[in-house]
Amino acid sequence: MEGGLLRVDLTTGTIKKERIPHALFERWVGGSGINDWLMWEHFLKHDPMCDPRSPDNIFIFGVGPLAGVGSGIGVKGRLTFKSPCYGIFGDSAGGGKFPYMVRFSGFDYIVVTGKAPKPVYLHICNEEVTICDATHLWGKGCEETHEMLKQELGDYPSTTHTLSIGQAGENQVGIAGVVSDGWRIHARSGGGGVMGSKNLKAIAVQGNGGVKIDNPNGLLEWSDDFRQKLDGNEAAYGFKRRGTLGAVEMYQRIGGNFWRNNQGALFRGEEVRSDNWVKKYHKYSEVCSSDCYIACDGRYKIEGHESEQAKKFVGETFRHPEYLTTASGAGAMDIRDWAEVAHWGKITNDYGIDNQDLSCSIGFIMELKQRELISDRDVEELFGKPQSLEWGNIEDIEELVKNVSYQTNPFGWLFRDGAYWGALRYSEQKGQNFMKYAIYGKGGASFTEEMRPFPTWMNNMAVASRGSDHLKGIGLIEKFQRKDLSKAYFGTPIAGDPTVPDLKGACTAVLENQVALINSYGVCLFHWLLDPLSYAPESYYGEAYTAVTGIDRTKEERMLDGERICNLEKAYNSRLGLRREHDTICERWMHEPCPEGPNKGRVAADMFEQVLDEYYEWRGWDKETGLQTRKKLEELGMEDVADVLAADNAIAGESRSGRAVHVEMKASDDPGIPD
Amino acid sequence: MITVQAEYTARFKEITQITSETIQLEQPHMAELAQILTTKYGERMEALLIDPKTQDLNTNGTLFVDSTGRRLFIDDTLADGETVSFMVGIAGG
Repeated sequence: MEGGLLRVDLTTGTIKKERIPHALFERWVGGSGINDWLMWEHFLKHDPMCDPRSPDNIFIFGVGPLAGVGSGIGVKGRLTFKSPCYGIFGDSAGGGKFPYMVRFSGFDYIVVTGKAPKPVYLHICNEEVTICDATHLWGKGCEETHEMLKQELGDYPSTTHTLSIGQAGENQVGIAGVVSDGWRIHARSGGGGVMGSKNLKAIAVQGNGGVKIDNPNGLLEWSDDFRQKLDGNEAAYGFKRRGTLGAVEMYQRIGGNFWRNNQGALFRGEEVRSDNWVKKYHKYSEVCSSDCYIACDGRYKIEGHESEQAKKFVGETFRHPEYLTTASGAGAMDIRDWAEVAHWGKITNDYGIDNQDLSCSIGFIMELKQRELISDRDVEELFGKPQSLEWGNIEDIEELVKNVSYQTNPFGWLFRDGAYWGALRYSEQKGQNFMKYAIYGKGGASFTEEMRPFPTWMNNMAVASRGSDHLKGIGLIEKFQRKDLSKAYFGTPIAGDPTVPDLKGACTAVLENQVALINSYGVCLFHWLLDPLSYAPESYYGEAYTAVTGIDRTKEERMLDGERICNLEKAYNSRLGLRREHDTICERWMHEPCPEGPNKGRVAADMFEQVLDEYYEWRGWDKETGLQTRKKLEELGMEDVADVLAADNAIAGESRSGRAVHVEMKASDDPGIPD
Repeated sequence: MITVQAEYTARFKEITQITSETIQLEQPHMAELAQILTTKYGERMEALLIDPKTQDLNTNGTLFVDSTGRRLFIDDTLADGETVSFMVGIAGG
């Protein structure tokens, strides 16, 4: 197994083509694992403390060995960079056709450094790579940018597929995402802000080459077996029509929703907690990539007769809102009409901005207004005019999306890096502490699900390498009360009981390792969630990985591969000065009792420290500091990483006189408040 | 004999064509409720409800809970008047 690596320095205009050697796949699997290593190597030569918006930051796109080979597990491309909003490790996944089209062009990884003197886009046409002027694209939304590039570059030697940023990325908004083919956002961590800081508007790719498979017959047999397994999985049929939207009703019954900046745990709007979405708006299901046996994506079109509010959006068509778009729109900001929720998803995608972080910023300021903690005059200072800040007012909300995306007023400037940094800056500006109303976990990242009754979920938000996040650890065992999985993983059902702390830190550690494998294979998480034991990444998916790469492993060795990748992401953050005290969550989740639902009264603080201790124990890290130990890193064959950490005084129990990097975590550069 | 309320969402609603119904059980057992539903709604319901490997309630991609949000297994006892929700769901996105 070898991979193609494209390196582009936008400052000098230099383009280099390299090979990723087999040994790197042996050590880092592929996909996110190799992305992480490329970033680690970069910051051995560049200052890891650099401003994420500076030319020293690195922007990596990578795709794993199982993407686009016909496995049927879906495709995910991964972006990796230093996050401009959280100031720590940042990465983000996205599906669609762009990832495997990159492989068909001959590359698996694209590394961009430096900064172009003017807006550019990168055009990759098989092995021919060109840095092109993007002045005509600057100022355009993601959908229009994609359509213009498709027109411009045509359908030969293949259709054109793109990654692009919208206005939020252009304005270096910290919570800006990167959008694939105009409609699938890599939302988390602020990759759009990094692209904007490099004057990189888009990457367009056309490729008609193939992908080398070590054992094609073995892969075909595996793929056929997987298809038959999925065909026999009845739950997959429900998932096909709704995608993750089925979770709305489920969370309503287990108290897992998030309402009005998490002042509640249950949706209020009858319409948005019903299945009317499927009845009224769903037009057809479709695959996000052509390498997926589920096809959970779907298209809507608003006719105008569906509701009174729908009349405002006649003709609008887009992807159906996923659960988290619904949780941010219908939940965090209390939008009560499906057409308006869908519109929220469409505009955040088009401006290219993460609707998790943004909805918590908007929810925060709406809650201050609701509680009369800010006056009409304060509101005018923030927005330059009166603003209703009514919950669920889509016209108001759309204006606020523009404020942040275009950076047009103090609200936009203050909240460009999300709710935590916005709340902190606003508290400092007003001389009042508003932090108890800010929803965040590690790094200041926001997330719109109820956290307090679910100890693994809560711990995931505190320890995830990219900041408060649901996709690194997964709350699969305790949130869904999977005592059967708990027995299979740990020999006891107790991890499936969310009312006690036992084995909840262990769940985070083990599932982080499994997710790291899936992300490194370059496939989708959802197939695995439909049958986690049968489709285990370390065994069943591992067979497909072996067929593609020729790299054979026992399941125990594959779990160590996943653990090694998690440890590399951790090591990067440790170099930045992150310690146990940074593995934390917000005051509302920690101390304010869950207000309603079957888990009324629960607070995260009841179990938080115990679960965190257990997580460090399972990780083999030092509980007092949260730092890695040399012993653990050596077990994983990471002596080189341990040496770097030791030189930075960022490894447990080794203090030396070299460079001491231990700083308070802070936002990249404070935007200040322009006159 | 007890009475329970069965609530259906998502794929369950498509199979049953209703959102809820009242069901009488001779014995207060989840096993009897599952048996009644598979008899009434056929193979697709059985495929959703029962894991053929364990003969317990299916846990993959599904969640069956009582009114307190507690997941139910095949050997659980149900109280008279209990509401059982049958759900299919994966979060995220």
